[in-house]
Amino acid sequence: MRISKRFGTWWKAITRREQLNCEIEDELTFHIEEYAKDLMRSGISQDEALRRARAEFGGIAAQKENCRAAWGTRIWDELHADVRYGLRMLAKNSGFTVIAIGSLALGIGANTAIFTIARQVLLDKLDVYKPEDLRLFAWADGENRVPIRIWGHWNETNHTCTSFSYPVYQQLRRQNSVFEDIFAFKVIPQLTVTVDNKPEPVTAELVSGNYYSALGVNTVLGREIQNSDDGAPGSGAVVVISDEFWSRNFGRSPDVIGKTIEVNLTPATIIGVNPREFTGASSVQISPDVFLPFSMEPIAAPNGPKSLLTNPEQWWVLVMGRIKPGISDESARGAMDVLLSNAVRSTMTVEKNQSVPRFAMEDGNRGEDLNGEKFTRPVYVLMVLAGVVLLLACANLANLLLARASGRQRELSVRLALGAKRARIMRQMLTESLLLSTAGGIAGLFLGYCGRNAIPHLMSSSWDTAAIHVRFDWKIFGFTAAVSFLTGLLFGFMPAWQAMHAQIIRGLQETVHSSVRGSNFSGKMLVVVQIALSMLLLVGAGLFIRTLTNLNKNHPGFRPDNLVLFEIQAPNTRYPAPKNIVLYRQIEQQLASTPGIRSVTLSKNPLIAGNVSNDDFVPDSLPLNLNGKAFVDDNVVGQSFFATLGIPILAGRSFDGTDTETSRLVAVVNQQLVKEYFPNINPIGRTFLSNKNHIEIIGISGDTRYADLRNDPPATFYTLYRQQPKGEPSMTFEISSNIEPSALVPVLRGAVTSVDKDLPMLNIRTQNAQIRDRMKQERIFASLTSGFGLLALILACIGIYGIMTYTVSRRTNEIGIRMALGAQAGRVLCMVLGEAWWLAFVGVIAGVATALAMGHLIASMLYGLKPYDPSTLVTAALLLIFIAAAASWFPARRAARIDPMRALRHE
Amino acid sequence: MAPKQSDLFQGTLDLMVLKAVSLGPLHGYGVLLRIQQISGNRLEIQQGSLYPALYRLEHEGWITSEWGQSENNRKAKYYRLTAAGRRRLHAEAEKWNRMADAIGAILRATPEEI
Repeated sequence: MRISKRFGTWWKAITRREQLNCEIEDELTFHIEEYAKDLMRSGISQDEALRRARAEFGGIAAQKENCRAAWGTRIWDELHADVRYGLRMLAKNSGFTVIAIGSLALGIGANTAIFTIARQVLLDKLDVYKPEDLRLFAWADGENRVPIRIWGHWNETNHTCTSFSYPVYQQLRRQNSVFEDIFAFKVIPQLTVTVDNKPEPVTAELVSGNYYSALGVNTVLGREIQNSDDGAPGSGAVVVISDEFWSRNFGRSPDVIGKTIEVNLTPATIIGVNPREFTGASSVQISPDVFLPFSMEPIAAPNGPKSLLTNPEQWWVLVMGRIKPGISDESARGAMDVLLSNAVRSTMTVEKNQSVPRFAMEDGNRGEDLNGEKFTRPVYVLMVLAGVVLLLACANLANLLLARASGRQRELSVRLALGAKRARIMRQMLTESLLLSTAGGIAGLFLGYCGRNAIPHLMSSSWDTAAIHVRFDWKIFGFTAAVSFLTGLLFGFMPAWQAMHAQIIRGLQETVHSSVRGSNFSGKMLVVVQIALSMLLLVGAGLFIRTLTNLNKNHPGFRPDNLVLFEIQAPNTRYPAPKNIVLYRQIEQQLASTPGIRSVTLSKNPLIAGNVSNDDFVPDSLPLNLNGKAFVDDNVVGQSFFATLGIPILAGRSFDGTDTETSRLVAVVNQQLVKEYFPNINPIGRTFLSNKNHIEIIGISGDTRYADLRNDPPATFYTLYRQQPKGEPSMTFEISSNIEPSALVPVLRGAVTSVDKDLPMLNIRTQNAQIRDRMKQERIFASLTSGFGLLALILACIGIYGIMTYTVSRRTNEIGIRMALGAQAGRVLCMVLGEAWWLAFVGVIAGVATALAMGHLIASMLYGLKPYDPSTLVTAALLLIFIAAAASWFPARRAARIDPMRALRHE
Repeated sequence: MAPKQSDLFQGTLDLMVLKAVSLGPLHGYGVLLRIQQISGNRLEIQQGSLYPALYRLEHEGWITSEWGQSENNRKAKYYRLTAAGRRRLHAEAEKWNRMADAIGAILRATPEEI
């Protein structure tokens, strides 16, 4: 009760300050007047009585304050006063305040924006029931492992894989005893969904019937996919849609349940809508558009006539389990290893000398988390860079504050002399710093909010329909608040400490300018730190820019200009092989006869798009001396592939009209392949064995880069799509034309529609856009680090200018004496410049050392140069020293122009 | 000369104020007068420390205040003892008496008693 009473009075004192002040004043006045009346009764005049009453009572203001303080408001009142005083000081130095808040806002904003990404890439968990109980199944490769065809992610470093065959999954699930349930899923990156006769490319996730119940996710509308939906292959034509898809296509109408849409031209019924936060089991960043039961696999992911659901050789399904309480990961792994071994042996033929995969287990709380793996290092690097920028802003501010605090020495000395406690002075200084950092934090939060989608936007392809949505919530707010607070403490501590140890007597006796002689060491240290950090950022910027230019210098081996690409998927239901070949050929011919199009071709894999395929390659009648390496990259292409892409044919011939479905199988090989497999032999006319077919080499083409610009052109052979017995489920068309892409696309669409009106053109982009897209990470780093580097230069400039101006103004007197004793203006100029250079030099050395120490962090992200690239280091160093000279030029000239007489009278 | 309040033990002022208010609601000046009256003008309360003491006691919840009319029809703030204040007064008074006894005993001591 007393606590609540105390709080009541405290609360009144704080919230109704004015009312309380009036009340106290009324009460005290009443007292004085009553006392005066009593005094008057003893015969004193009214004026005299009042005067004596007041004098005996003491100061009303002090009394008032003591009364308020009795209600426990001292700390609050002091804080209030500090904040008001701080605000007045900041308003007085508006230039300083703007620079401080601006640089803090940039630093904090950069950190906020990068934290939003880092959180998604590194921290966020699946939005399901108890995600920490989920385990993602995996297996580890063994010596001479039984041959497995993998459709999924292969971890190069650990030799592990998370893909299983569907029969193995089914057996694991049946025999499991250590998991509460085991479920399966697989993301299909692209299929066609037709809503109201409008075809649209979407991403899908195939899920097992127990997926929703095992994850503990409920639809917000309709029902979940259940075991009864996941029956025989081809059955269960139901679909659950994502919140985003619901908004996009149905305007969030509740009537969507029961509606029929077409999935790869097969009708399916919408039975439910996922909650907005649910992103599927595969990733925490982005949700597939539609969720289908595995029984829909023959329609959603057609793979030849045989369904993958019964295929034991193809491993493609991701499997997760929810571990039973009380069972350790180790014992679960042991139990599952036995089951996996049994499952492999009962579904596949394992030879005597072959081993089976060993069961491994990964944390499942972030799903498959391919992005996490891919972006962890870049995100760490970005976080370090953003942190360095903020540190730099801190050092800059600390420096400015320090210079200002020295200017306020006299004020502080007066306050100390009047009895202010040192701790109180320090608190006051820290309050000012925290005011600045709070303002910077608010501005930074705003900047971060504006820029929250900028980085994910840079990371996704421009033609992708699905966008990563960054959640901006209280966690981000908490992070920014914490960063701002720490920043304020960091840059405010040194000035506050110095203020606390101000010397009263010296501060009062001496003039402002000479009061802290020789104690400017901390300021110079800060400038050195600033230059070192700037050096770090500049080196980073230089390295990433050079990486980008190095990559741009790499000729892809073909002519990427005036090329438009798009993909066509031939739905298995309408175009079972070899009908799909006929379809592609019809589209190719239709496009080729369209006016304005120079030439048309198609390929299984577009170039510089991150995709490659490879196959076995065994030259006939040649000893295989290639230490077992019998796989090379290949591509399935159209007849005029080389002409359209401007790839030279160096010997033999390209494909032509005589190469048809029924003629003998032919291939064109590139130079690199000839170098590796046919040294000093003319390969033309020779045959090789691939995929159980003998194929004749008819020509040699120039080398082209394949998956990206980083890797050298691989040995590649090209075959004709018309000669593929199975046909390809999808092909990329490459169209060469002088027409602007924006005008060309409707023409292309018309041509495709005239062949089949239900076929959407997928991923329309130019070849140059495709190449830029492959380099987006390099571009992001080059642009971000250049931005950071520029910011660093500006801050370093301000820092050096500030410290030199301050030094010169403090030394005015000394310089005056020097000049009076005969020092030349040029000498004074050199003296000041020399001091700045000396600082810059020390900072640059420290920066180079740090950059070298941290180089290994980014070594794998660079191309064509090492992290200790000498030209980058030298350029950055020269730039900084030049900046130091430029920034100190004005203070130095001011020093050189000092009039000795005036300087001596200065005090 | 009347002993100044600063000569008294710490907390004595609180005790005296509580006692004064326990005899009936009083305004601040009234507290001052009543203490002087009861003590027969032998104690002089410093006017400057009276009001902070009143506010402190109110903050602790031992007295409450409300605005009312003074004897000559002026607006004045009246203080009244609360139940908690009454308990506090008893406890403090007891402590004070024990202390006074003890000190009295010490001062009465003669060499024969030791």
